[in-house]
Amino acid sequence: MGTTKGLLLVVIAGAAFFGSRIAFGWLGRRWIVVSGAEYLLLGVILGPHAAGLLSRETLDSFAPFTSLAIGWIGAQIGARLILPTLVRIPARLYRVAIVESLLTVATVTAIMTVALAWWLPLPWEMALTPALALGGIATVASEGSVRVAAESAPDRGPVLEQLEVSAAASSVIAIAVISFILAVHHVAPAGPGRPPTTTEWAVINAGIGIVGGALFHLFLGDDVTADRLFISMAGALILVSGAAEFIRVSPLLATLWFGAVLANTTRHPTRIVASLDRVQRPLYFALLIFGGANWHPSVHAWALPVALFLIVRIGARVGSGRLSARWNGELPALGEQWSWGLVGQGGLAVAIALSYVFQDNLPLPNIVLTAAILSVLLTEVLSARLIQALLRFRFAAAIRRAPAPNHEAR
Amino acid sequence: MRRVVVLVFLLAGMQLILPLGVPGHGSELLLTFGFLIIAAYSAGELAAAAGLPRIIGYLFSGVLFGPHVMGVAPAPVVHDLEPVSQLAIALIAFLAGAELRWPEVRARGRAILTITLSELLVDFVLLSALMAVIGSRLPFLQGDVRSTIAFGALFAAICIVHSPAVTLALLNETRAGGPVARTTLGVVLVSDVVVVLLFSAVLAVTRAAIPPQGAPGLGIGGTIWEILGAVVVGGLLGLAVAAYLRVASRELFLFAIVVAFIGVVIAGLTHVETLLTLLTAGFVTENVSRPEQGEAFRRAMERSAAPVFVVFFALAGAEIAVADLTRLWIFVVPIVLVRVAGIWLGTRVGARLASVPREGRLVWMGLVSQSGVAIGLAAVLAQAYPDRGDAVRTVFLAVVALNELVGPILFRAALGRAGELHAPPVDASAEEATA
Repeated sequence: MGTTKGLLLVVIAGAAFFGSRIAFGWLGRRWIVVSGAEYLLLGVILGPHAAGLLSRETLDSFAPFTSLAIGWIGAQIGARLILPTLVRIPARLYRVAIVESLLTVATVTAIMTVALAWWLPLPWEMALTPALALGGIATVASEGSVRVAAESAPDRGPVLEQLEVSAAASSVIAIAVISFILAVHHVAPAGPGRPPTTTEWAVINAGIGIVGGALFHLFLGDDVTADRLFISMAGALILVSGAAEFIRVSPLLATLWFGAVLANTTRHPTRIVASLDRVQRPLYFALLIFGGANWHPSVHAWALPVALFLIVRIGARVGSGRLSARWNGELPALGEQWSWGLVGQGGLAVAIALSYVFQDNLPLPNIVLTAAILSVLLTEVLSARLIQALLRFRFAAAIRRAPAPNHEAR
Repeated sequence: MRRVVVLVFLLAGMQLILPLGVPGHGSELLLTFGFLIIAAYSAGELAAAAGLPRIIGYLFSGVLFGPHVMGVAPAPVVHDLEPVSQLAIALIAFLAGAELRWPEVRARGRAILTITLSELLVDFVLLSALMAVIGSRLPFLQGDVRSTIAFGALFAAICIVHSPAVTLALLNETRAGGPVARTTLGVVLVSDVVVVLLFSAVLAVTRAAIPPQGAPGLGIGGTIWEILGAVVVGGLLGLAVAAYLRVASRELFLFAIVVAFIGVVIAGLTHVETLLTLLTAGFVTENVSRPEQGEAFRRAMERSAAPVFVVFFALAGAEIAVADLTRLWIFVVPIVLVRVAGIWLGTRVGARLASVPREGRLVWMGLVSQSGVAIGLAAVLAQAYPDRGDAVRTVFLAVVALNELVGPILFRAALGRAGELHAPPVDASAEEATA
C-alpha cells in the first residue's frame, strides 16, 4: 500500500468515525438512545472489503482478541448468577422466562430453517444449523437496556421483575444454544486417540470455566485492590477464553461458568462485577469494530433471509411472551405486551454470531453475522425507550385499576 | 506460595488442553498470552515481596516460561505476540511524552540536555575504545583496522541507548516524581533522539568507508526525515487527540488504545520513528489539552497499559537467549562494566557542568536499563551489513539482557536513596516560580 493511499485511508477512517460519532451522539441526546453504530461503521471501513487497513491476515491475527471480547461478555453474565440472589427469585418468574425463551428459539429456528432451505436453496439438515444459531441470537435480550430502564422506572412492578429474569435467562439459553452448535460440529483434534464426543466437548467446555474459576479464586485470595484485580482477572479471562478458543469450543460458555464460580466463591462479588464492568463498553465497541471488519457481503442472497429474521424475531418474541404468560397464569399481572421489553439486543448477539463465524466450517456464516449486527443496531436504538414506555403504560394501568379512595370512611 | 501452586496447576491444565487443539487454527496465542499475564503478575508480586522492582519478576517469568528455558511460550507464539509489544512501546512512548509538561521542560531542560550529551559522549568514547581493544576477538570486528574501528563505533552507538520502557514502568510502579525521577526520565527520552542521530551519522560514515553488501537502507535525507518527520507527524497526531478530547471525552480507555494503534500505523506509513512520533504526540496532547482532559486521558492510557506492560516485559524476558548469555559472558561482562562506568562518569561530569551535583550522584543508576530503540537499530545494522549484523545483534542482545536485569534494581535503589519512592510528585511550575 502506498504512503499517500495509506494516509488517505487513515484520514477517511478517522473522519468517518468522528462524523458518525457526532451524528450518533446527536441522535443519542435527541432520542435518549445509546448506540455503537459508529464503531461498527469504523470496522467496515477499516476492514478488508473497504479501505483494507485491516487486512484479512491482520484480522486473523486479531481473532484471539475478539475471542477475549466474547469471553468477557460471558464472564459478565456469569458473574451476575449469584446463587443466594437467584434462590430468592420466585419460581413463576423462571417458568415464564424459560418457556418464553425456548419458544422464541424454537419458532425462529423452525421458520428460518424453512426459509433458508427454500430461498437459497439448501438441504434441510444444512439449513438447520444456521437457523438454530439465528434462533439462539433471537432469544438474546439486552440486559443493559433493562437495567437502564429499571433505574428510571417509577416503581418495581411485576413487569420489571419479569424482564430482568427473562433477560438473564435468555442470555444463558442463547449461550447454551451456540455452545451446543459448536460441540455438535466440532472438528477432530490433531492428537492421537479417539476424538471426544459432542457431550464430552460440552463437558470440557464447561470444565475449562469451572476449573479456571476455582483456580482463580484460590489465586486471588484476599487481594482485591481494584487495579491488581483487574490485571489478574484480565489474565485469567484471557487464559480461559484462550483455552476455549484453542480447542474451538465456545468461549462464552467457559467464561460464563468462570464468572459464576468466581462470583459465588469470592467474598467480594460486587468487586468482581465492577472489575468486569470496567471495560464492558470498550470491549463491546471493540467487538463491534471486529464484527464490522469481519463482515462482508455474502455470496448468497442475504437480504431476504436477514429481513425475514428481523421480522420473525420480533413476532416470535412478542407471541412467545404472551403464550408463556398465559400458560403460567401470569397474563393479568404482566399484560399482553410485556415481552416487547425483550426486543432490544446487546453485545451478546454479536458475540454469538462471531463465535459462529470463527468456527470456519459452519454454513452461511455471513447471513448469521449480518442478521445479528442489523438486529442489534436496529433494536438497541429503541430498546431502553421501549421498556420505559412499557413500564409507564403498566404503571398508569395499575393506578387506573386501583380502588378509588373511600371518602365515607374519611 | 499459594500463587505458585496455582500456577503449577494452570501449567498442568494447559498440558491437558494442548492435545485437544485443532490443527492449523494457530490460536495458542491467547492461551499463552493469558498464562504469561498470570505468571508474570505472580512473579512480579514475588519480586515486590523480595524488595525488587516488579519488572524483574515480569522479566524472570518471561525467561523461565519463554522458548529458551521451559518453552511454555514457544518462539512462534512469542513472535505472534509482537503486536502486543508494539502496542506497549506506543503506549509507553505516549505516556512518556505526556509526562513532560512545558513548565518542567523549561525549568529542567538545560540540566537534562547537558547531562544527556555528556553521558552519551563519554559512554560512546569509552565503548569505542573497548571495541578497539577487544578487536578481532569479536566475530563482527574481524578484518582490517578500518573495519574494526567502524563497526566498533557502530556497536558503541547502539550500546549507549537507554530504556524509556523500563524507566516509565518503574516510575508508574513506584509513583516517584522527585528531581532524580524527573531528570532520569528527561535524560532517557532526549537520549533516544540523540542516539538515533548519532547512529545514523556513524552508519553514514561507515557506509562511505565500507560499502554495504545488504539493503541500501536510509540515506542522510531519510534519516533526517525519520527524526524531524516524527516530530511533525507526532505533533499533528497530538493536536488531533487534543481536539477530540475537547469535542468528546468519552470511552477514553478504548480511545487510548486506538490512538496508540493509529500512531504505529501512521508512523509506519510515513517512515518516521515510531517511538519519537508517539512521544511527541503525548507531549503535545498533554500540553495543548485542558489540564483535566489531559489528566483523564493519561489515566485512561495508564489503565489500558497496565496488563500490556506486564506482557511486554514478560515477552522481553522470553527473548533473552540464556545460552548466548552464558556463551558470550567473557565479552558481555566487560562491555556492561565499561558502559556502566561511562554512564557514571558522563553523568557526574554533566551534572557538575549543569550545577546539579546532587542529581548527578544518582541519575546514572537510572540509565543502565536497555531495550526498545537499540534493538531496532541493531536490526537496521543487520539489514545493511548482513554478514556482520547478525553477530552484532547476538552480542548486543546478550548485553541488553544483562543490563535489563540489573538496570531496574539500580534505578529503584537510586529512587530509594533519593527518598522519592512513593513521594508526592514535584509541582514543576511551583519549582520554576521558586527558581
